[in-house]
Amino acid sequence: MVGVIRRMHHLKDKILALRNGPGAALLPENVSRIHVEFCHRMNGGHMGPRKFWQENLPKIKFWNPAVPIIVNRLEILDGPAKMTIYFRDDKTSAPSTQSNIQLNSSSTGTSPAPAPADGERTVVVDMKARHSTDILSEFLAITSAVPVKATPQEEMEMRELEDLKRKGEIDRTETRNALEAERREKARLALAMNEAASIKAAAT
Amino acid sequence: MASTSQCLASLVRLSIATATRRPTPSIIPKFLLPSVVTPSFIRHASGSGSGGMRKRAPKKKKAYKTFRSYDQSDLEKYSLCDAMRYLRAFEVGQAPHIIKYEVHVKLKAAKNGPVVRNRIRFPFAVKSDTRIGVICPEDSPMMEEARQLGAVAMGEESLFESIRAGNFPFNKLICHTDSKEALKKANVGKLLGPKGMMPSERHGTITSNLKTTIGEMIGSDEYRERDGVVRMAIGQLGFSPQMLADNLKAVMESIKRDMDGIIEDGHPKSLDEVVLSTTHGPAFSLDGKFNPTDEKIQPQDLQSAM
Repeated sequence: MVGVIRRMHHLKDKILALRNGPGAALLPENVSRIHVEFCHRMNGGHMGPRKFWQENLPKIKFWNPAVPIIVNRLEILDGPAKMTIYFRDDKTSAPSTQSNIQLNSSSTGTSPAPAPADGERTVVVDMKARHSTDILSEFLAITSAVPVKATPQEEMEMRELEDLKRKGEIDRTETRNALEAERREKARLALAMNEAASIKAAAT
Repeated sequence: MASTSQCLASLVRLSIATATRRPTPSIIPKFLLPSVVTPSFIRHASGSGSGGMRKRAPKKKKAYKTFRSYDQSDLEKYSLCDAMRYLRAFEVGQAPHIIKYEVHVKLKAAKNGPVVRNRIRFPFAVKSDTRIGVICPEDSPMMEEARQLGAVAMGEESLFESIRAGNFPFNKLICHTDSKEALKKANVGKLLGPKGMMPSERHGTITSNLKTTIGEMIGSDEYRERDGVVRMAIGQLGFSPQMLADNLKAVMESIKRDMDGIIEDGHPKSLDEVVLSTTHGPAFSLDGKFNPTDEKIQPQDLQSAM
């Protein structure tokens, strides 16, 4: 198994990136579920939705673990790219959506956006040919989500990790230079030895 | 042996041959210099001729008899629900029955000696794709037995018909000994053989005891210790915290039992660390607790659809 310190650096890096940054926001109570649909291939305006899934959705999921986030990736080349946000009416009780059959995420396009349940309304966002930051800002505006700020402790940890990365880069350059110099020296020595051997062979 | 003049001559020619390059004195390897002209001006730090930098023999690498065990004071450990919350966030949008939780159990163990190795039946099956078909006489008690054991397709002529039609509702096929003759006559070997599903006595798939054969096929997973670590999948991403905890408990109890047997034979082994991960997620060391540390999060929040 990999050593403890190296593993902790890797984990801290991942966790801090998950807890903070664009998408780290608390959704209000009335958002019941989110459905995202786009294509596997990025051409045709599906790069933004895909980046939104890869970079922002994990953060939204972390801060709102109880909200189902379903991603339906289509195999067709020129499909739609849209996000459906389901809002629960304040009057109805919470478990109304729980009783419905909930589809799971799919990479083969088998979970299309379900129709809203009783007491649910939907807002559909067209994501095609838009940048992920653009999609995220519209999502945050529609849901009126509250962004989460990093704690001082987390900010300190992030700075420490940044420092560590910088130092690591310097060390890596130094080591690489030393190693390359050593290799160059070795190659020159080998060349000289070869030449000397051939001259020797020619002389005798 | 080359004489001094020979060597010097070769050096001259060497410099001619590489005239385009800047002549650097360091290019001449030391061994080319004749021993008679070894410069006498080399001085050693000690001052006396016999002292100086003594060459040390290369350090011998210590051979460890046990696998390396790390100091865990810098290790942050997480409760099961905390680790699940992070991992579910990392795996957002993935199909929940395909992505698996996996556990890595590090042991303090010797590099030689027996290893932990066994099969386990989980309280909640991890493998999502075992569908068993059973060939047995129609309307026999075996058919009912197979249905109760979890087979998805059973029968004799009806099953052959669906196979001939290219319809395979199963991915593992077994045959009862009573239907052996019917299977031979059915002439389906050409269809089943390429898929590796043709029942045969050699593979133990023609059997008179359906219960043990089906039991071996579904829900039993194998694990073994490699390099002092037992790694295995223990759950699907869609599992609730309680389901995962039950499976984890089953694995840990099974490994403990195996270790006890090995310890009794005089080979010390003990538990070092338990790490939880998923197919794409990072690894979280577990502290043995269950509840989330964030009081706003409840365990039932971690079982929503993925």
